Amino acid sequence: MASDRIALSVPARGEYARTVRMTAAELASRMGMSIDDIDDVRIAVEESFALAVAHASGADVTFTFTLDPEAFEAAATTPSNTCDEDLEDETGSRYARFILESVCDEFEIRTDDGACYIRLLKRIS
Amino acid sequence: MVPRSSRNTSRKLTWDKERTRELFKRYRATGDEAARDELVTMYLNLVKYLASRFRNRGEPIDDLIQVGTIGLIKAIDRFDTLREVEFTTYATPTIVGELKRYFRDKGWAIKVPRRLQELSFRVNQAVDALTQKQQRSPTIPEIADYLGVTSEEVLEALETSEAYNFVSLESDRNTDGSDSFSILEYIGKDDHLMAVVDDRTTLAAALKNLSPQEQRVLYLRFFEGLTQTEIAKQLNISQMQVSRLLRKTLKVLREHLVREEG
Repeated sequence: MASDRIALSVPARGEYARTVRMTAAELASRMGMSIDDIDDVRIAVEESFALAVAHASGADVTFTFTLDPEAFEAAATTPSNTCDEDLEDETGSRYARFILESVCDEFEIRTDDGACYIRLLKRIS
Repeated sequence: MVPRSSRNTSRKLTWDKERTRELFKRYRATGDEAARDELVTMYLNLVKYLASRFRNRGEPIDDLIQVGTIGLIKAIDRFDTLREVEFTTYATPTIVGELKRYFRDKGWAIKVPRRLQELSFRVNQAVDALTQKQQRSPTIPEIADYLGVTSEEVLEALETSEAYNFVSLESDRNTDGSDSFSILEYIGKDDHLMAVVDDRTTLAAALKNLSPQEQRVLYLRFFEGLTQTEIAKQLNISQMQVSRLLRKTLKVLREHLVREEG
């Protein structure tokens, strides 16, 4: 089965966390995840969103959700000027890593051509 | 754009301590209104910064700044200049307290349709019942089926439960004081954590803002790696309460750490 892709672009403002969270929860539910796993997805997505918002230099943060039969993947990207210098060691990002490590099966945070890129993956248990 | 500018403000939150001391001295000695006004103006960016922390709650930022300013004025009037504490350290909780009270009075936290409140409560019970019956965490459709509602309604209820419990969580802090668990004790011992979070003091300071129950949930989830269902069982609370506690806790920590950054 080919994987489905859903893209969601929201203003880079904290108040849209709910939109992102609810979309992610609905998609994770669609994949048959348990409520425990869905909550992990919500925490992870919110965390990535918060990190992206903190580094956004442009207006929007774009999420791409990929639904595989075995895993849920979310990738957040936003134009950023600050990603390069301090994404590695600032406290906020260290904290985000700590959370993502705990609730996801895989994740990466990197800079990508003037953009901040955060990807996370949660397998269906 | 509000978030952008408030972030910039936060980066340079510094004040002239010498001038602050001078103005306080003058205001205390002579009741000089001009001195007080200057203090208010000087520390207005602290108010703006703190108000911006509450901006995602559906209230206009200007209203929040006004409320915060009242807190600032109270702080200026009550500040004891003889104590060896920075004015900002004293003023911050007063301003935040004023903002919190504003939301509490507005009933922001309980402005949720009754239908959703009830559904949220029933979802809560369904999760517990199904977890027990199936010996695993249920899916959304299973919960919806059990309650005879749609999956959308269940998802909506999940979001709701976090909104309307804000107040009760705040009061939890006082009632579970008997619980002496402290995650702080573990920080020094846990090498894994040390590897992940090397800024130990920042995290420790952030954790102090949490109630023992919040710290315990955080510990069980992220250090012991228990699932929310397992934590619920161990603490004898519902899975949704765990979920709520976690989300709220993470938010508090994040905001604290970001503030430290600034």
